[in-house]
Amino acid sequence: MSGSLQDLSGLDRVIHEPARLLLVALLSSVESADFLFLLKESSLSRGNLSVHLSRLEEAGYVQTEKTFRGKIPHTEYRLTPNGRSAFNRYRKNLGALFVSKKV
Amino acid sequence: MNVQIDSALKRGRGYWFVDGFIEMAGGGLLSLLGAILLLSGKASVSTFPDWFLSVAGEIVLAKLLGILAAILILWWLKDHFTYPRTGFVRTRRVSGRQVLIILRNAILFLLVPMLGLLSASLIITSGNGVLAAMPEWFPVALGVVWAALYVLGGEWLGLRRFRWLAALMLLTGIAVGLGQSVIGLPAFPLHVQAGTLPQQPVLAIIDRTLINLALLILISGVILISSGLVTFLRYRKANPVPYAEGS
Repeated sequence: MSGSLQDLSGLDRVIHEPARLLLVALLSSVESADFLFLLKESSLSRGNLSVHLSRLEEAGYVQTEKTFRGKIPHTEYRLTPNGRSAFNRYRKNLGALFVSKKV
Repeated sequence: MNVQIDSALKRGRGYWFVDGFIEMAGGGLLSLLGAILLLSGKASVSTFPDWFLSVAGEIVLAKLLGILAAILILWWLKDHFTYPRTGFVRTRRVSGRQVLIILRNAILFLLVPMLGLLSASLIITSGNGVLAAMPEWFPVALGVVWAALYVLGGEWLGLRRFRWLAALMLLTGIAVGLGQSVIGLPAFPLHVQAGTLPQQPVLAIIDRTLINLALLILISGVILISSGLVTFLRYRKANPVPYAEGS
């Protein structure tokens, strides 16, 4: 296996999935966002979005806060410091894969 | 994918501008300030200090009250209109280090070229010539600065319409400067000894510069309101029905 392919296998699998990558990217540019924002921006179905957010929560990358705005339930999601550094590491690793090595 | 991720990052940053309310509020505030400046009248040499203090006071008061009112109105509008349609986002806090970096970049990208241009014009013409032509070059220079800020801000926030706003701000600055050229500058002695600048011509120059500044601010405000209105109509069309999280 070449060096760059070994690097590929070292990518974070939790973040590498396209839908989760999009969610992490969306959350990385804000302090926190609610379910509706993520739903609209990701164009995922409600069920799909819930599953991916749960997966990110299980990995310790996303933190959930459930509150009420008036009588309406309101859930906010934010990246944990662990999730933020994992995303930065992922971007760095992915970028490094595309750097051409002179032979 | 990298392009999509970049756009996702920018969508989060630019979310506050998604409904056009901020542009409308900012444009309204600018229009108010421009109107105050335009309607403030003219001062004579003897009344200038009092007039200047009075106008400065009005502007500071209008700014404080306007910003406070804008924050309250925006808060209410977003809570009742935007968040139920496209969701709630809490923006990231800017750290002290980031503020320093922004300030450094602003100085490098905006002030240095401006100072270079000013120094060059001082060398080419006399200092009095630069002062005499202030009603012409000041609106153009301000238009350039605003355009640069809109381009940089638009790139950072991923808002393409800011490029159009930048172009319109620049054109407005140039138009106001050119308009002054067509009307003609107030009479100003180009060769006077240092420290003996006549007060009346200087006052006429300041007065004309302030009128041009007021015009620029007023037109920029109207441009921002129009841009905000178009953005709002598009946003409402794209998101007609409010969502409820439980539904």
